[in-house]
Amino acid sequence: MSMERETDELLRLERKPEVFLPADGAMEAPAAEFVPGPYYMSADERIPEVADENSRPDHGMAAVGGVTPSEGTTASQTVVDRRDILRFFSAGALMSATACVRRPAEKIVPHVRQPRDHIPGVPVVYATTCGECAAGCGVLVKTREGRPVKLEGSPEHPISQGGLCGMGQAAVQGLYHPERLKGPHVRHGRRHDPMNWDDVFQQLASALKDKKKIGIFTGGSTGHRHQFFREVLERLGSDASRLYTYEANGLFASVARAHEIAFGQSDLPRCDLKKAQVIVGIGSDFHDVGTSVVYHTKGFAQSQPFRGGSRGTFVQFESHLSLTGSRADIRHVIAPGSETHTALILLRSLYEHRASRGSAAARTQVRRFLESYDKVIAGAYQESGVSRELMDKTAEELLNAPSLVVAGGSASADENSTLLQLVTIMANVLTGAYGSTLMMENGWQPSPVKVGDLGRFLQEAPELDALFVIDSNPVFTVPESWGIRSLLEKIPLLVSVQPFPNEVDQIADISLPAHHYLESWGDEQPVAGFWSARQPAVRPTTDSRQAEDSFLWLLAYMDLSLPYKDYRSWLMDKWRRIYHLVGTRSDFETFFKAVLRRGFVGKPGSRTVGELRDLRSYFRELRPVPRGLILTAPLDSRFQDGRSAHLPVLQEMGDRLTTIAWDSWLALSPETMRKMGLRQNQLVKVRGGEQSFDVAVFPLPGLHAASAVIPRGNGHLNQMSTISYQNGVNPLVAFAKKEDPLSGQPVTASLSVELMATGDWYRLAAMQKQNDIANRSDIVKKVSLTQARKNQHKQVDLDTVPDLYPALEKKEYRWGMSIDLSKCNGCGACMVACSLENNVPQVGREQILLGREMHWIRLDRYFYGPVDQPVVTFQPVMCQHCMHAPCEAVCPVFATTHDPEGLNAMTYNRCVGTRYCANACPYKVRRFNWWTHKWGVIGSKATDRNPRALNPDVTVRTRGVMEKCSFCVGRLRDAKHEAKKEKRTVRDGEVKTACQQTCPADAISFGNLNDPDSQVSRERRDSRAYLMLGGDPEHGHYGLKTLPGVSYLAQVTLEEHPATGFGQRAGNHGHPAAEESHGAHDGD
Amino acid sequence: MLQQFWFLLLLALSILVCLVLMPPSTDQSSGYQYKPFIMWTPGDHVNDSTQNEVTYGYHPDQPLPFSHKLHAGDRDIPCQFCHSSASKSTVAGIPTVETCMGCHNYVNTDAEPIKQLKESFDKKKPIEWTRVHNLPHYVRFSHQVHLRARDSKGELLLGKTADEVCMACHGPVKEMTTASQYAPLQMGWCVDCHNRIREPATESKAAVPFAPVNCNVCHY
Repeated sequence: MSMERETDELLRLERKPEVFLPADGAMEAPAAEFVPGPYYMSADERIPEVADENSRPDHGMAAVGGVTPSEGTTASQTVVDRRDILRFFSAGALMSATACVRRPAEKIVPHVRQPRDHIPGVPVVYATTCGECAAGCGVLVKTREGRPVKLEGSPEHPISQGGLCGMGQAAVQGLYHPERLKGPHVRHGRRHDPMNWDDVFQQLASALKDKKKIGIFTGGSTGHRHQFFREVLERLGSDASRLYTYEANGLFASVARAHEIAFGQSDLPRCDLKKAQVIVGIGSDFHDVGTSVVYHTKGFAQSQPFRGGSRGTFVQFESHLSLTGSRADIRHVIAPGSETHTALILLRSLYEHRASRGSAAARTQVRRFLESYDKVIAGAYQESGVSRELMDKTAEELLNAPSLVVAGGSASADENSTLLQLVTIMANVLTGAYGSTLMMENGWQPSPVKVGDLGRFLQEAPELDALFVIDSNPVFTVPESWGIRSLLEKIPLLVSVQPFPNEVDQIADISLPAHHYLESWGDEQPVAGFWSARQPAVRPTTDSRQAEDSFLWLLAYMDLSLPYKDYRSWLMDKWRRIYHLVGTRSDFETFFKAVLRRGFVGKPGSRTVGELRDLRSYFRELRPVPRGLILTAPLDSRFQDGRSAHLPVLQEMGDRLTTIAWDSWLALSPETMRKMGLRQNQLVKVRGGEQSFDVAVFPLPGLHAASAVIPRGNGHLNQMSTISYQNGVNPLVAFAKKEDPLSGQPVTASLSVELMATGDWYRLAAMQKQNDIANRSDIVKKVSLTQARKNQHKQVDLDTVPDLYPALEKKEYRWGMSIDLSKCNGCGACMVACSLENNVPQVGREQILLGREMHWIRLDRYFYGPVDQPVVTFQPVMCQHCMHAPCEAVCPVFATTHDPEGLNAMTYNRCVGTRYCANACPYKVRRFNWWTHKWGVIGSKATDRNPRALNPDVTVRTRGVMEKCSFCVGRLRDAKHEAKKEKRTVRDGEVKTACQQTCPADAISFGNLNDPDSQVSRERRDSRAYLMLGGDPEHGHYGLKTLPGVSYLAQVTLEEHPATGFGQRAGNHGHPAAEESHGAHDGD
Repeated sequence: MLQQFWFLLLLALSILVCLVLMPPSTDQSSGYQYKPFIMWTPGDHVNDSTQNEVTYGYHPDQPLPFSHKLHAGDRDIPCQFCHSSASKSTVAGIPTVETCMGCHNYVNTDAEPIKQLKESFDKKKPIEWTRVHNLPHYVRFSHQVHLRARDSKGELLLGKTADEVCMACHGPVKEMTTASQYAPLQMGWCVDCHNRIREPATESKAAVPFAPVNCNVCHY
């Protein structure tokens, strides 16, 4: 081979996206002799007709984006001698070795004046309030040398209780996002020109001079923010009523509106799930998005999972599989759009049950209501597909214990959504939930939005002279048919004030970059009377100003100054009222400092709520259940309405039910797909709505046959954000301008659509492949409640395994972890926390398709039972830190070794990248750096991630190095050093791994296994404990005998539950033909 | 054939260069005795014109002619008076200008460097020192643990006084004008100490090293 040809071919090879792409087949070929087991990961293991037979890398991928087929085929045709490559690479390596020089000189820049209490190298932690959604969780911001590196839920804060969701965790990436505007911009046609703040304010001041009709459109907030905006509007000569608040999560508006109708209080009741033993959800989504996801998950985790011989029951009725539904003990699939009808029949069953509660007056109201709508309810059984016996049993469950009914979510955001809440209120009156599990009189949840503002905005917008859009993206989050874009374009002066540029900035005349919440002052009132303060944890990272401060500046330029020098001083003025309410003896300054230190203060308010009112008249408008295939667009549990879609860590986390990252998909019931002749990854055109669009289909078990689900949040058309631009599709374009008449929220569900195969294919980047569980029973385990109760006091010893290895040496510590599969709700916060703590790179869709995701902790999910009504198990899997680790034995350079404290250590600088360890690892947790993830490129998307967001305590890995979970060894070191200082050992619970710390469900515990009293030791001895791939020790099978440091607690299921015949279903797993149908599910 | 020739030539060349660059070997049998070597560092030059003394190792030019000899040696100021975070944090910390000005508001105010210092303090412009001891990015070293290391009797392990502990690794700083790298800061040098310093053997127990030597003590 001539030199020229060699270089030519190598150059060609470099241009290829993939050098190592296998040419001869799919990445994961199915096992030759596949025996279906009780668990499955993909619907096509049950219904092979829906499998994507084209998912070979060289076949069938349409040029929709990403890997194109032509490139795949040519790569496989290129024949390059492996030795030539090696020769070339070794020559290159030597050349670089000869040119070795000392590292460039580094500068150390100490402070001129040291800030008080600041020690270099020691983190400073600030308490603040999360600003990603309106829930108002308390967070602790860990800063290193003045820059936030990690967010953690504040353990003292009663809302977050130490937990934080994935979106909250990811906020730190939003702070340093390189695409935040660097300063104010003015739009000239399609060009956005930078401008300085002085000029912008002058221009704004002159433009607004004689204008009186100025409006503000903003997102939800429970704090003082809206009050400030109203004051500003009045000062500007406009009217306070021109403040329009809107949240895409319609639950706030519908619940608040329903309570206004029923009790005259436009607030949300606080759901105290930790007191509820029985929860019935009707299309509820409190684990996905809800109104306060961490608070609800914390409550759920305290009442529902198995503990001390008892556990709660959660029954969910829903049309598609949600994270919430996947946690249900008993899950009934109902027809999409029939949530209100289901609630109606539940109400009737509750009322007719002799144990039902409620005052005489309230019962009279319910009786009258039921009498008036007798016919509707009689037909509802048919509509929803739920039998009367089933509902009677559910009602009985509800009335036997402290319970509540939670209904509604983004998947049922149709025209009935407020009616659904009204029925739920009546049901909860009958269960006696108000006052015990639903707090309306004592510490309720104030509504972050004012009901009906969107409709009001549509009416008043054409007359506005100027509009400020603050922290809100109505162009994207309201369906296009509502014409928000053209409405905004017609406003003479449109100013967008956003921390991250969104679709509004593209049409705004002036863009004023606002502070990220980590740079802002503010407050929230997550529970009435309970205030959570927000303070900046970092100096502004770009030339932005806080939205409120921008207004103060503007007023000053217009000679209308308010007597405050900044928003903080305005806020402190308001806090004086809180200071008096709380009534402490210290002076205000001390009080305010103490609040900032702790993050919150307050005394939950109390009031009396009136009797249930007559609700009959509202139900005249009850819409019937729609027919045909129904499109639903629920909020994405990762980034809700798409507000955080620009954060790569959330995109890469992937949806936890489909495991698809970086995309949108249309989830269909596998059975429906089979009937329609569709296969996974096939592109279909969704028609029947306002606009049709193409999307790839994915078979998801647990869906109603008539349900088609596309999560919203992706499909941005905002060119200012590389990450979210044209990533996935936006299903909202299909929805016509319809609203829920009572709450005014846009309808984003219950749309009849048709699907038409386009003949094209699009590979969805699903992270969990199928067919590799090989029918093993020791990967996920399940026990029935009876069995768990029986074995409650039994103890197991997982560490006594007969083998030929020498006995383990007993040291001071042996670190171990225990994960309760009963508690894990698959929210994925652990994945985000781990990525941010350990500088795990995001690789992008193309690399995920090749199986090269880098997550140190992944969330596997398994289905069990029939495809239309599966039981879902989530299993976080990280490095198992085996005592007899297969990876350690095969490493030729001792890059992975065993630490005397039970950790499986990975030494990056030793690793030469043979990848033997990854081959040897039975848990598939080792990740190889195929590239030096430059913190600058995500897949094919070139975006410069800010290296300041990296954790300085963890090495950034380079190409050719293997990496994996380290049990957050940096945190362990810190804890041990602290303990050493105080001459003691590390206390149980003192050190928390990043995943454990953030877990809103408290599913993960971590500690010293050599301390018999530590929580993790106790959980390892629990009768439910098992080791992954550890066989069945009870029967003398010890599996791989790897002796992992991670143990799992088997999921407890209600196998024998009388209401559903759950045991029957669980028995005949795996054979869709043999399933019994029990009313809940029956085609379209 | 031609390719192989080039390949071998390159190989030979690189081995040669590596041999030239390699530090002289050390005598492991009688404990660790580090022999400092002059390192070729492009862009930096050994500046021995001011104090007329021979300096070893890496010692780049600094923005101010700060003398450790004068402060720590002649004036006997404890190390941690300025590097105050050494016992509290992973890093020893470079003193702030404010720390310097604590004394230099009154001491030697007429000297040229002190005027520069004062200017930096008044203008709030920090001084950009050049880092001398620079560990690779994949090494985690904590000053506080080493400073606090004590044996079972409660005696400091690495020296009799706190300053001696510092000098165990940083060398005779009290005699240095500009700080220079004394130890090679390579893994062999670290591990040697971790292995050598042991709890004395008793009848029942063999000598145990105080410091761990497993990889993830420093690499994570």
